[in-house]
Amino acid sequence: MYKRMILRDLKRKKSMNIILLIFVVLSAMFAASSVNNIMAVEGGLDHYFEEAGMADYYILSHKSNGKYSVEELLKNSENTKSYRKDDIILTSKDNFKHDGKKIMEYSNMSMVQPLSSSDFNFFDSDNKIVKEVEAGKMYITGAIAGKSDLQVGDKLILSIGAINMEFEFAGTLKDALFGSEMMGNPRMLVSDEDFGKITNDDYVKQYGMGSLYYIDTDYPSALESEIADAENVYFSSGNDTIKLCYFINTLVAAIILIIGIGLIAVSFAVLRFTIGFSIAEEFREIGVMKAVGLKNTSIRSLYLAKYFFIALVGAVIGYFLSIPFGKMLIESVSENMVLENRNSVMLGIFCCIAVVIIILFFSWNCTGKVKKLSPIDAVRSGQTGERFRKKSILHLGKTRLKSTAFLAINDVFSQPKQFAVIIFIFALCTVFVMVLSVTANTLCSKNLIGIMSLKESDVYYPDTQRAMEIMTGAKTERETEKEISDILARNNMPGTVYMEAWYKFPVTVNGKKYNMDFVKCRDTKMTEYIYTAGSPPMYQNEIALSEVMAEKLDIEIGDTLTINIDGKERDFILTALFQSVMQIGEIGRLYQTLEIPDRLITGTPAYQIDFDDDPDEKTIAVRVEKLKDIFQNKDIYDIREFIAQMTGVSDTVKSVRNLVLIISLIVIVLIAVLMERSFISKEKSEIALMKAIGFKNGSIMTQHTGRFLISIILAQIIAAALCVPLLKLLIDPVFSTMGATASIEYQFNALEQFFIYPLIITAAVVISTFLTAIYTRTIKASDTANIE
Amino acid sequence: MNTVLEVKDLCKTYIVNKRQNNVLRNVSFSVNEGEMVGVMGPSGSGKSTLLYTVSGMDKMTAGEVFFSGNNMSNLHQNELARMRLEDMGFIFQQMYMMKNLSVLDNIILPAVKSSKKKESNREIEQRGRELMKRLGIAEIANNDINEVSGGQLQRACICRSMINDPKIIFADEPTGSLNRTSSEEVMEELEKLNANGTTMMIVTHDVKVAAKCTRVLFIVDGNIKGEYNIGSEKNMRDRERSLNNWLMEMGW
Repeated sequence: MYKRMILRDLKRKKSMNIILLIFVVLSAMFAASSVNNIMAVEGGLDHYFEEAGMADYYILSHKSNGKYSVEELLKNSENTKSYRKDDIILTSKDNFKHDGKKIMEYSNMSMVQPLSSSDFNFFDSDNKIVKEVEAGKMYITGAIAGKSDLQVGDKLILSIGAINMEFEFAGTLKDALFGSEMMGNPRMLVSDEDFGKITNDDYVKQYGMGSLYYIDTDYPSALESEIADAENVYFSSGNDTIKLCYFINTLVAAIILIIGIGLIAVSFAVLRFTIGFSIAEEFREIGVMKAVGLKNTSIRSLYLAKYFFIALVGAVIGYFLSIPFGKMLIESVSENMVLENRNSVMLGIFCCIAVVIIILFFSWNCTGKVKKLSPIDAVRSGQTGERFRKKSILHLGKTRLKSTAFLAINDVFSQPKQFAVIIFIFALCTVFVMVLSVTANTLCSKNLIGIMSLKESDVYYPDTQRAMEIMTGAKTERETEKEISDILARNNMPGTVYMEAWYKFPVTVNGKKYNMDFVKCRDTKMTEYIYTAGSPPMYQNEIALSEVMAEKLDIEIGDTLTINIDGKERDFILTALFQSVMQIGEIGRLYQTLEIPDRLITGTPAYQIDFDDDPDEKTIAVRVEKLKDIFQNKDIYDIREFIAQMTGVSDTVKSVRNLVLIISLIVIVLIAVLMERSFISKEKSEIALMKAIGFKNGSIMTQHTGRFLISIILAQIIAAALCVPLLKLLIDPVFSTMGATASIEYQFNALEQFFIYPLIITAAVVISTFLTAIYTRTIKASDTANIE
Repeated sequence: MNTVLEVKDLCKTYIVNKRQNNVLRNVSFSVNEGEMVGVMGPSGSGKSTLLYTVSGMDKMTAGEVFFSGNNMSNLHQNELARMRLEDMGFIFQQMYMMKNLSVLDNIILPAVKSSKKKESNREIEQRGRELMKRLGIAEIANNDINEVSGGQLQRACICRSMINDPKIIFADEPTGSLNRTSSEEVMEELEKLNANGTTMMIVTHDVKVAAKCTRVLFIVDGNIKGEYNIGSEKNMRDRERSLNNWLMEMGW
């Protein structure tokens, strides 16, 4: 009997049941994929590091011997449990050619090394550990190959010293140590045989050899202090800093987490609404069942059985759809990370079971009203006549609106619960897109140049070759600057060329030693930079530190720190604090005239060019293109491109923003279509009545579309109001982990964030609702005679 | 006397499960201005279908319906909708109303929608209140539709049907869901309307209701089997008796 009743119900109320089924499918799909992704992302980095065989501390140095060599210090270190070492060849992008051109797009130092000398694991795109490299082949880590359009099988020429070797590009590998967007130091992995050939070259032996140390220690801070005096260190860092370098992935992962949570919230809100909605439609039948003597528990179990059936079918379909959907979401994070969720099947099934249980709970909760209904409700179509809650909020006689607009507005305000759910979902989707759009814009805006410890310039030219020449002592800073300046003058673009030089010095504060990064520019004044506290240094013995560094050293403005520069201990007074995202925020600025030998420079972000004729943005853009030809180098940027390139995350965030926009649009369209369809089902009698008293199809469709238009407009107002607080809540901590501890000036593009995206979302809602509302045409005026 | 509605050879066929069901078969009749025409017949005879078809709510399969001289079969859906809005009034057995509107707003909705009269919404509201007062339901103007009784709601439906001063009011079992007292009250109001010149076409099972009409059409199996002019007899009992006699002759 029950089975027959359920089957007939499923058949008779096909539309509402299908809508409910689709929502169950969506809920199960969102829940299973999101929870899986949350689990994969949460602790994903630790898992990746473990699989890769990461140590606790790393040092990259130029090869040197003697008392202050890294190796010697490590041997005598009390804080080193053990260490592994990779012999490497230090290279730059200028050492590699493809089709006769320098096309490998990266500005940081790169390393050539064999695979077998390291116990460190590299992973291919399928997250499998690569065990060997064939002779004549070369793997490259990170995103370089993609950015350089390198295809597997392409030929690469390595030119260093007297060596000119051809390699076949074998593929891209994931490198846990240097593979993050922020580190961006590519490693070229070759066979032992090929590596031996390169290291036999005299130039390589003298200038190119370096060592990468993987150190196991329980006390990274103490070790840092111990090796502070080591010579020729290019890079030293603990795991905490390396993890911070994955902030881009963390940012995307955080976005995926938020999207996941948002989708779960959306699906359950919709589910609760739909179940409540469909049960409200059943009051009459519930009354009839009570009238013929069915017990409350029997009636409730009948509905539970029906919803259990729908939930079960929906959950099974949802589980299978969650697999590709979750994969699509996680792919944006796992590009340069190994992210695996080993419990995905179990977790997915668990989530789907949870969805079924939650649906049953909602159903049980919604059918709770059965107890209060009397058989008389059957006669009164579920209206007891005893409810005195005001429904109509607005009054037709007091409005100047057209009747259709009035009805649309009145419907929204008369059914606040139903439309609040819709508005909540629309607002959630819109605010995600807005926040990501602002974040993407900020990450390539001029506003960030200050927190990159740089001054605004017309052009930025990260020339690693020239920087390497300074670092190896082949040329001085001034010589390289003059070279560039002369080239500019010869090409009728005279300008000033300068660079922010980076240094790494041992620092002593209160007896504790640290190895810290500093920046200094000979051609700018300390007053040209932005500080968050104190006054800019005025003398050579004054210094400004980033807030993160000051906190690490535990010093305040007015305190003194000792820096060992070229073997001499010098005291500096801290006069100012600033925020910086360079070196994860741990950096100090030295006074411009402080004399430091060029050979101690460890790098520079770029040569900065200020043209003499103060050109406008268009002219700069033209000159940038011209300079690319002159220098045969693609890595020449205007300020915005440079910031985008430095943060390296702008494109990723834009991709994620587009992904979120697509997901939001899909969710919004689905919600609009399904909600409108269920409204039509529920309001069949009203639609027929409206037609009977002379409303045209167009008016009814406009009224229905208007309700969703009002909802999306309200949602967008809410989203716009929430945008800044959510940026502060969600994105500020991300910038903070990069070193921007004070505040970030977000780059709003009102046209984009508050017009174009809302317009796209509004158009999607309006079009999908209108198309669904066309269904109202099938309801005839004469149906007033047939409606129950 | 002008003819408001003229129906010629009207046919209506439904296809249910691939089976043709001829609900109306060559129905012809006319309704003059100021008349109150009752339509009676057994269940399933096609009474409601006739009402919905001649009012343009449902499409006719064949035949012609002239409303105020306009051939409705030539009119577009939107023109039919405008005609229903401005020139016709409807009263249904179930007191259908918009759930999100107050009783008064439900009544004035067709007038606000219509462009027949150049009135402000305030003026329309005032007219709506006056109508409600005339029908004795002024006190429920701002109530929600689930706060009033069936009789009050049906009188509100009558107000709604009158708000645009229609040429004809179609009523489908207007007292079918009401108790005896409410039925009598509603019919009194319809009588008053008719006395004031409003043409009416009422589908009913109730002899008491039909007896108030000037003319009754008896429909069986989609055909008009007979037509009865009740005449000018004032006494209601006599009108009911004569109508009953005729209905018995028709096989009621």
